[in-house]
Amino acid sequence: MGALTNPDVGKYVNEHMVSSFQKVATFKIVGGNKQGGNVAAYFCAPDGRVLHCVAGPVDAATFLREAKWVVETAKACIKDSKGAGAKFKELFRTAHAEKLRREFGIVVPAVTFDPPDPQDDKDALTYRDPSGQPLAPRLPPPPIDGPDVTLTDAKFEALQKAAAAAPGNRYAECRSGKRVVVTPQGLVHQVMAAHCLVPIERVYGTVFENILGEKISTKPVDVVTPFSWVDKDGNRIRR
Amino acid sequence: MNRAVMALAAAGESCGYGTTIEFVGSPKEAAALAKKQEKLVLVLHVSGHFEDPGLT
Repeated sequence: MGALTNPDVGKYVNEHMVSSFQKVATFKIVGGNKQGGNVAAYFCAPDGRVLHCVAGPVDAATFLREAKWVVETAKACIKDSKGAGAKFKELFRTAHAEKLRREFGIVVPAVTFDPPDPQDDKDALTYRDPSGQPLAPRLPPPPIDGPDVTLTDAKFEALQKAAAAAPGNRYAECRSGKRVVVTPQGLVHQVMAAHCLVPIERVYGTVFENILGEKISTKPVDVVTPFSWVDKDGNRIRR
Repeated sequence: MNRAVMALAAAGESCGYGTTIEFVGSPKEAAALAKKQEKLVLVLHVSGHFEDPGLT
């Protein structure tokens, strides 16, 4: 069963979140042909800044675990930051780095200072597609320091073996040159350790292009239905 | 708050599209409702030729 049809997921998400969808045009070239299509779920603050993301299709247990983590972490960070926005961002990014260390045994530094934003669309810092139009930037992830040194070799190897079994896994290089296996969700935490609390329009390009490996060709657009194979009531559309 | 969004919320006009999640019409509407209800916003980005009935 997919995560989005799971009753527990629905109950929790509807209780803690207001949900919406958009279509993003992406593709990848496989055997000379354009293929592609994927899904990413962004958990955001009401002002559109991304707190967390689930990249790619996942099972219900994983989706629910990530949804609960973001809600509980947001509550804890609101409490600990005492209403200070900069502190909230710092705490949330640190929480991503900590979750990456705890679940994947990989250490990255949380980046708690943001460089200046581009001044306008023509600014040198603005990412553009080949036609010259500014599109979503590809945000640089923080460097991987390396494996968590508090783990035994056996424990780290077990985490690496689990990561190697996850769909979409790949190698990433640490500062030392050592290569470690990372999963799409591990990469999400790596990116979020430096870029969470950034507006969704600046994050989605990184998620699709750097993590899911699909080239985006448009900005997200509102559509009538998120899933082309079912109607509004969930009935399968015959073609 | 936008009156249209208020009306939407009052009417309970959200759809699941075969999922257990209630979706409103756009991220903008979701953000306005989330602010009012003190909730987070979930934005689903569906891309390309993705057609996986297993998802829903």
